[in-house]
Order: sequence, then C-alpha cells, then structure tokens
Amino acid sequence: CIVHHLSFLGLWVVRYFKSATALMLCMFTVMGKAEGSVAREEWHGHVTALSVAPEFRRLGLAAKLMELLEEISEKKGGFFVDLFVRVSNQVAVNMYKQLGYSVYRTVLEYYSASSGEPDEDAYDMRKALSRDTEKKSIIPLPHPVRPEDIE
Amino acid sequence: SVLSAICFRNDETLSYIFQAGMALYKIVPKNPYYFWSVMSLIMQSISAQDENLSKTMFLPLAERMVEKMVKEDKIEAEAEVELYYMILERLEKYKEALDVVRGKLGEKLTSELQSRENKCMAMYKKLCRWPECNALSRRLLLKNSDDWQFYITYFDSVFQLIDESWTPPPEEEHSLEGEVHYTVEQAVKFIEERITEESKSSRPLRGPYLAKLELIRRLRYRGCNDEYKLGDPEELMFQYFKKFGDKPCCFTDLKVFVDLLPSSQYTKFISQLLEVIPLSATAESEIALPADIKALQQHLCVVQLSRLLGIYHAMDKKQKLTVVRELMLRYRHGLEFGKSCLKTELQFSDYYCLLAVHLLLDLWLEGEESAVWQCLTLLEEGLSHSPSNAQFKLLLIRIYCRLGAFEPVAELYSSLDAKHIQHDTIGYLLTRYAESLGHYAAASQSCNFALRFFHSNQKDTSEYIIQAYKYGAFEKIPEFIAFRNRLNSSLHFAQVRTERMLLDLLLEANISTSLEESIKSMSLSPEEDDIPWKDLRDNRDLTVLFNWDPKDRDISEEHRKLSLEEETMWLRIRSLTLRLVSGLPTLSHTIQPKNSEKTAENGVSSKIDTIRSLLQQLEAAVDSGKKFLEQKIQYPVLGPPPTRMAGFFSNGSCQCQTSLFYLVSDIYELDTNGLGKSEIQERIGNSFKSLVDRLTDLFNKCKGDLIEVRDGTLKTHPNLLENLVFFVETISIALWVSSYCDSVLRPFKSNLQKKKKKKKESSVAMPPVFTHFLDYVTELQTLTSNVIDHIKGLEIILTALKLEDLSLKDTLVNVTVIRDLLTVQYLL
Repeated sequence: CIVHHLSFLGLWVVRYFKSATALMLCMFTVMGKAEGSVAREEWHGHVTALSVAPEFRRLGLAAKLMELLEEISEKKGGFFVDLFVRVSNQVAVNMYKQLGYSVYRTVLEYYSASSGEPDEDAYDMRKALSRDTEKKSIIPLPHPVRPEDIE
Repeated sequence: SVLSAICFRNDETLSYIFQAGMALYKIVPKNPYYFWSVMSLIMQSISAQDENLSKTMFLPLAERMVEKMVKEDKIEAEAEVELYYMILERLEKYKEALDVVRGKLGEKLTSELQSRENKCMAMYKKLCRWPECNALSRRLLLKNSDDWQFYITYFDSVFQLIDESWTPPPEEEHSLEGEVHYTVEQAVKFIEERITEESKSSRPLRGPYLAKLELIRRLRYRGCNDEYKLGDPEELMFQYFKKFGDKPCCFTDLKVFVDLLPSSQYTKFISQLLEVIPLSATAESEIALPADIKALQQHLCVVQLSRLLGIYHAMDKKQKLTVVRELMLRYRHGLEFGKSCLKTELQFSDYYCLLAVHLLLDLWLEGEESAVWQCLTLLEEGLSHSPSNAQFKLLLIRIYCRLGAFEPVAELYSSLDAKHIQHDTIGYLLTRYAESLGHYAAASQSCNFALRFFHSNQKDTSEYIIQAYKYGAFEKIPEFIAFRNRLNSSLHFAQVRTERMLLDLLLEANISTSLEESIKSMSLSPEEDDIPWKDLRDNRDLTVLFNWDPKDRDISEEHRKLSLEEETMWLRIRSLTLRLVSGLPTLSHTIQPKNSEKTAENGVSSKIDTIRSLLQQLEAAVDSGKKFLEQKIQYPVLGPPPTRMAGFFSNGSCQCQTSLFYLVSDIYELDTNGLGKSEIQERIGNSFKSLVDRLTDLFNKCKGDLIEVRDGTLKTHPNLLENLVFFVETISIALWVSSYCDSVLRPFKSNLQKKKKKKKESSVAMPPVFTHFLDYVTELQTLTSNVIDHIKGLEIILTALKLEDLSLKDTLVNVTVIRDLLTVQYLL
C-alpha cells in the first residue's frame, strides 16, 4: 500500500494498486481561541472523516491510519485525539473502543438527516496522548451537549 | 482580508501579491508575508506561457529570495523549507534539493511521516542514484513491510545495479543511506526474511508475500531461471489464499499475478482452493454451504477467480444457467449472516448475486433475450436486501439504459447521491442517455447539476488557494491549480455545456422565446469556440462498475483511447451544429445592400463566410466520424458506452441536418443575388423536396414495436426511441431554417406584390421558389402531425401490454413492479 499525506488539509489517502482504498481527513485544532490554547490544554488532533472502501476492510487499515494520526499529534504536542461517530454505528464505536478511545460526551442531533428522518446523536470519543499526563481530557461529561455548545 | 479580495486568475494578480507581500514585510517583518511573495513567483512560473521565462526569471528570483533567508538564518516554518524544496525541484536542481532535505533545514519536515525520506527518495530517483534508492527502500521496508511503493523501488534499483554490474566501494559506506543489495540472491534472502518475520505475527501483513510473487514475475521477465529458488507461483498463491482468502481484498491481490499461472493449470488451481474451504452439505441443500462469514468470503473469492480465469466463459448455456442457479442459492443462503446489518451496510453475499447477473449478461450478449429480464429481477432483489449497494444500482442503470428504459434510472442515480467531483467522473452514466431516450426534463436537470459543480469549481479553488496562502500550506497551491485545470479541461464539462445549450434551444427556441432571443441569452456566437480541444481531459471513471472478467474481455487502454476519440468526434459534430444554429439569426440582419459588390468592412458578408466555413468543418467532422465507425468497435458491456454517432449517421438525420445548413447557404445566395437566377431557385426547390423525403424516411425509422413479443420473451428496440429523438431535433432545425427562409422570401414577395400593384400588371409570374417553399411548409406540417399521432399510439400500446403472459423463470420480484417501471418510461 502507498500512503499519501496531504499535509495542509491533513488528508491521508491510502492506495492499493492505483485505486484509493481508504482516506482520513484530519486536522489539528483547538476549541475557542488559538491564544492560550496550550494553557487550556485543548490543542488536539481531530478526525473529520475516516472511510475504508468495503473491498479493503478487515485489514487493519483504519487502525493504522488512527495510529499515524496519533503519532503526528504526539509530535505536534497535542493533548488528545478526538472524533465524532453516529450513536447507531456500533461497529465503528466498538472499533474505536478497541483502539483505546472512550466516549467523552454525547452531542445531541449532531448529524442532520437527509429526508424525513430525524437528526442523529453523536458520540464524541477521545484518546488521551502522553502530554495529558493526568488524563484530564477524557474524563466523561455527566450530561449531553448540543452542537451549538461546541466550536 | 487582503487575500480575500483577490481572485487568483491572472499574472497581474500574482505580481500584485508579490508587491503586497514585500510591502507588508517592510512594515511588519513576519515570514509569512515574505513567503507570499516567494510563492507568487512560483505561481507565475507555473502559469507562464513561456517556459523559458519560468526557468530563467521567476524561479531563480524565488530561489535567491529564499537563499537570503537561509543565509540570515531566518527560516522558521516547515512550509518554508517545503517551498525551498519545491523551487529547487522545479529548477531541476536535484542535488541541491537533496542537500537541503538531508541538512539541518530538513529537520523541520515533521508533519508528514517519512517526509524527509520520501523527498530524498524522489531526488535519488531523479539523480538515478540506485545504491541510495535501494538502501533507503530497504530501510523503510524494515520499518514497514507493507509499504508497496518501496518494494517497487527496491526491485527496480536491484535490477538497475545488476545491469550496471555495480559493486560496493571497498572500505567505504555502500551509499549515503547505508547497506545496498545488488544481487538477486540478496533480494531473495531479503524477501524471505520479511516473510519469516511476518509469519511470526498474529496478524501478518500481506506485503512480503505479494513481494515474493512480484520478484518471481520480474525474474521471469528477465528470463532468469533463478525462480526455482522461490517456488511455484501456483503454490505461493495457494498459500496466500490459505492465509488471506477470507479478506475481501484477496481477489484483487491475486488478480495482479494470475498471468504467472499456466492456463492448463487453471482448473486444478481452483479445485485446490476449494478443497481448503470449510463447506458442508446439509439435508436440505444440494450444495455444500459455508457455516460462517469467513468461509463465505473464501468461497466468494474462488468464484471471482473462476470468472477471471475464464472458466465460466468456456461453459455452454446449460452449464452457465446451472452456475447461475447455484450462485443465487448461495446468495440467498448468505443473507442469513447479514440479518443484523444496517441499511447502510452491504450484505456479505451480495457479490454472489452480482456474479450471477454477470453470467446472465454474458448469455444475453450471446443472443439469449430472456436472460436480461432475469438480470433485472435479480438485481432488484439484491437491492431490496442491500439498499446501499452502489454496484446493484450502477448495473441496473446500465441495463435499463441499454434496453431504452430511462424512467427508473433517474431515481437510481439520485439514490447514489453523487457529489462534487463525481459529477465529472460518473455523470456520464446519466447524461449519455437522458436526452437520447427522450427524457428532456431529466436531461436538463442532470446537465444543470453538472454545470453548477463545474462553474462553482472556479470560485471554490480560489478559496482553497487563499486558505493555503493564509496557513502557509504552499505545497498545496500547485495541486489546487492542477485540480482546477483538470476540471476546466474536462471532456464531460464541454459535452454537458454543449448539450445543455442544444437542449435549451430545442425546448424554447421559437416556442417560448424566439431563436434569436434564446441565442442572445446564451451569449452564443458562431465565431466563438470555447472548447479546449487540444487540452481535453477524459475524467470519466470507466471502471466504476465491478468487473471480474479475464484480461482479454476487460476494458483495455485501447478501449479508453478509442472511446475518448469517439466522444471527441461526436462533441465536435454537436458543437459545430450548435454554432451553425446560433448563426441563423445573424444572417437575417446582415443583408443591407442586396447587390453585394460591397464586401464587408464590418463583417456583413463575413457572417455567411463563418457559416460556410463551419459547414465545411462539419462535413470534415462527419467524414472522420464515419471513418472511425468503420472499425466497428465493440466496447465491453461494463465499459464505456458508445456515442450517439452511429445512430446519427445510419438513421439519416446527419444527412438531413447537413442539407438544411446547405439550404441556408443557398437561401443566402438567393437573398444576395435576387430572384433573377433560376439555377439557384431550382436547387433550392430540389432541396425542399429531398428534405421532405429524408425527414419522412427518418420518421419511418421510428416506426415499429418498442417492445417486441416473440416466442414468449420480450425484446426491446430502443433505437426506435433514439431515432424519434433525432427526428425531433432534426425537425426543430428544419423549422428554424424555415424561419430563416421565410424571413428572406417574405420581403421578396411583398416587394413583388407592391410592384404588381404599381404596374397594374396581372401577368407577373410568381417565382417558383415561393410555391416550392409553401409546399415544403405544408408537407412539414403534415409530417409533424403524423408523428404526433404516432407518439400517442405508442402510449396506448405500452399500457396495454400484459407481462403476465410471458414466462419469467426464477422470478421472486413481483412482476407488476417490472410492468409499472416499463410502461412509464416510454412516455415522451
């Protein structure tokens, strides 16, 4: 496999024999203002999208991509890595749990549905990196939040 | 905010950025401003028409600017180092670029994993430093034995070194990057060691095993008989299957290496694979079935390989149908495993169904008419269990279109939810057939979706570039520019643009607005050609439909080339037709002096010259098209669809449309020379007559059964529909041309009538051309009402068709569903 990394957008594209088989879009971001972010321990890696083509599943590609992101996030001094996943997507939730992610909070009606169906909630899942020595970033919130409450 | 006011389109803007950057830097000496200027120089070098200017002015200036910062030790950000590398690479100063990356500045390259190594590798390749290529790829493979690109580099470099008879220098490092392998034995040992390492792991990586097969292939290609040391490809592939056969990617992995198998071994190979799959027959099932998903996937892989090796293609009809039955049994059995699958997931056994359909398609193409109906029912069945499976939808779209049934296609395509770049890559699936099968609304809509995307691309990429400047992501900027160009030069974009305008004229001109107004609103003019013929890019995804066919039946490079050629020819014909039509209103206005001694200062006669030149070009394009079609190319059914060109020629609409434009030229001549010359009038009179004949011929080619019932099976005749659509288009052109004729003849007639009154002569004979024209118009009217009656008749026939009377074996889907689909789609 060949892994391309497009650094600005933080887009990784994995190619097997010419056709793209998996991609992960990620960013390094903080919530709120950039200033003082380090002090507030909010500098983190964020996965915007992760997708593996059906023909290339069960090869550990998703895990590999997440590992790459964690490695780079460590290098950049991030405190944690996080992502949003549909509450109904048990397969994905379990996969992330196996990779060491835990549910930090629930975001109500995060995913807007296409036609007639109700909006769906998201789990905000996180994994603390080594810089977060006390693992503060992953202490779960006691109550759900709404999309307006996050960045 | 400075940047957001800028539109990145021309060199003026770029030099503005350069100045702005430097000006800002003088006030606030922050690196980003300085490097905006550097980047703007690079962009100017990219867009410079004169390549020399890039190499001798822009890039060297950019280089000096960066060198200044380097000397003053002011380089801060990773992006600045990337920019330096980019400049040196574009200047082909590969050695210098290598030194930068390997030096202190290279330490800043941290965002991308192996960024330094990747850049070094690129430079070693450019410099043909094979020892370094080999040593570096060897080291990187030790870190990650699944990184395929480095196996390729490793092998390439070993064989280069062997060919150069390279030996390591005595008492020195092999290379800058360490130890080098320069013999086959070393390469073999290296690969074997990787395999040994992997086999210890609980989850072995596939890379080393495939690398061994790749090495065998290369040794065979070189005629080395060293391969016996590595083992039989059959055995290795069998072992590979035992390890990875339950992974969906096993088929695509092995497909790459099947040409290493001798064809005499195919059946034996397949049997060998089947033997190791845990299948068991039960009391109910006649065939041995898998007990879990892993076994199912393994078996599915073997079925795919069987098709690839041509085993199914060698069977007779009876055997094929037996296989179809078995595959469907396995498909339905496999649904058990997917009971808890979400609607957004695919069923594990889906591809059994698809493979069964592919076999039926083979039968259909060999002449079995009933097979195609079974294809539809099986695909609809598959889709009902797996509503997210795009492959079912795509194949349904393909088959429905080939049958001439467009109605279900619009919804199927819409359910694919194609977005953004997909409008360019798979939009053709829809736009190729929407109009040609008479679905004008859907055709308009599909064109609009595509055009909206292509037009927004300009604005969007400017946004991306601005963001890239803002965040200093300089490496991305040339990529965004290349992306924008790729879309601007897209064949599909040019086709959709052209067809949409023709369609709009068809639907509006001289109906809701005049031809002249329509053409004005589209800003069309016959002189302008906005299609970048030399740079046209075929961005279509021609392999979007899954295909397990053997190499000799698969889509080849030759097919792609021919398809692009054909599409370009057809586009030329359509584009010229559009421009010719757009020229009609211009002719009516430009005749002032009827005695055309005055040749144009302001293009009075040049309008007709444009028309005549376009007509010549159209003739030439038609000739090329006809010559192309002599090759009688057959594309694979899962590959690119043929253009409408063949039908356009064979049904006579081409000849008709060309004659209409010649008529325009003759009428213009009549207009210029007056009614004196009888030769012109005679020619025009003959044209009118032969046009009516041709149009009647064309209409006759629209008659017949759209769905023919024969021996209990259905056969569709979509060409009748396609001819009808061409008829509508041709007669529209005929009517626009008639409008022009009328605008020329009417003033003549009223002048003559005035003269008659003045001279009080009753014996001035009316020029024959008037009568000819009147007859022509009357006959067109009759023909048109005949066509309308014919269309009404079609609707009645179809709704009365009773499908229950036909035998459709193995049908699980409700037959009335199919009937509803078919009766609706033929309505024009």
